[in-house]
Amino acid sequence: MAKKRERSDIFLDMLLSIQERGGKIKPTHLMYRANLAHNQMNKYLDELIDGNFIKRISVKNYNYLIITDVGLKFIERMREMKEFERTFGL
Amino acid sequence: MIELVYSPNWFYGKDIEIDIVSIFVLFLIAIFSIKYFRMDKKNKNYLYLAFSFLLIGLSFLFKITTNFTIYYNVLQTTRVGFITYTYNAVKSSDIIFIIGFLLYRIFTLLGLYILYLIYSKKDKGNIIIIVFLLLVSTYFSRSAYYIFHVTSLLFLIFITLQYYRNYHKTKQSANKWLLLSFLLITVSHAFFCFIRMHSLLYVIAEFIQLAGYAALLITFIKVLKDGKKKGKK
Repeated sequence: MAKKRERSDIFLDMLLSIQERGGKIKPTHLMYRANLAHNQMNKYLDELIDGNFIKRISVKNYNYLIITDVGLKFIERMREMKEFERTFGL
Repeated sequence: MIELVYSPNWFYGKDIEIDIVSIFVLFLIAIFSIKYFRMDKKNKNYLYLAFSFLLIGLSFLFKITTNFTIYYNVLQTTRVGFITYTYNAVKSSDIIFIIGFLLYRIFTLLGLYILYLIYSKKDKGNIIIIVFLLLVSTYFSRSAYYIFHVTSLLFLIFITLQYYRNYHKTKQSANKWLLLSFLLITVSHAFFCFIRMHSLLYVIAEFIQLAGYAALLITFIKVLKDGKKKGKK
């Protein structure tokens, strides 16, 4: 059975999904790419926006989510952390 | 009587420099481990690793402080001769040497035990018994210094074996460096067990220790670099 994702893993997956799409993504695309239910995504999205990791913007009546510098830094730190965890077997 | 100086005269102070490098590496990794724990508070192993490295780093600080005082006194005695004043000064500092060396040993052993605990079952009863045995072995290492190094060696062998298993599983370069660093630190303790036979063994052990901590620093740099590299892919 696949291991349940931790909260930090979900945040990372969401941010990575945005980054992989060039830093800008539609909320529905994010939902599919991060493999989340609608309710779940909204909950995590609010937390990410509150933490200034992502921002909501509107372009030609379409809603987009963009990743901020704080979000990019977070991805970097999380990757370092995962590498550290893997190397030291924590 | 506790044995204090194993270094040949020409090596006085060089071992202090080696220990400073070790402290730098240990504290650096401990600080990052605390930082990562703050990001993921569910994984307490980050905290154990940080605590373990901080204890070993602190133990080196005690060793340095003690060695520094010893070397200072030895040099002074050589220069001035055995006049009463000098003799008294050394005698009155004995207690500081003993406490310093005992703290160095107990902090090293506790640090290694906490690191070992990360990879083994945590049972409260066992932990209490082992901490007690560590205190006992530190006490007896006052008269038989090798007890301390043999105990450290045992912990290090088990920790290195764990890192060998990790490397075998992942085949990653950072894991290889980590394995190499602990292998070198383990070998250095094997040499430390025999330093009474020849003072040169102390020098060899110190240099192997330096190589071990240098490899640990490379491991850490590789972890940071690999984390960034994977981000760019």
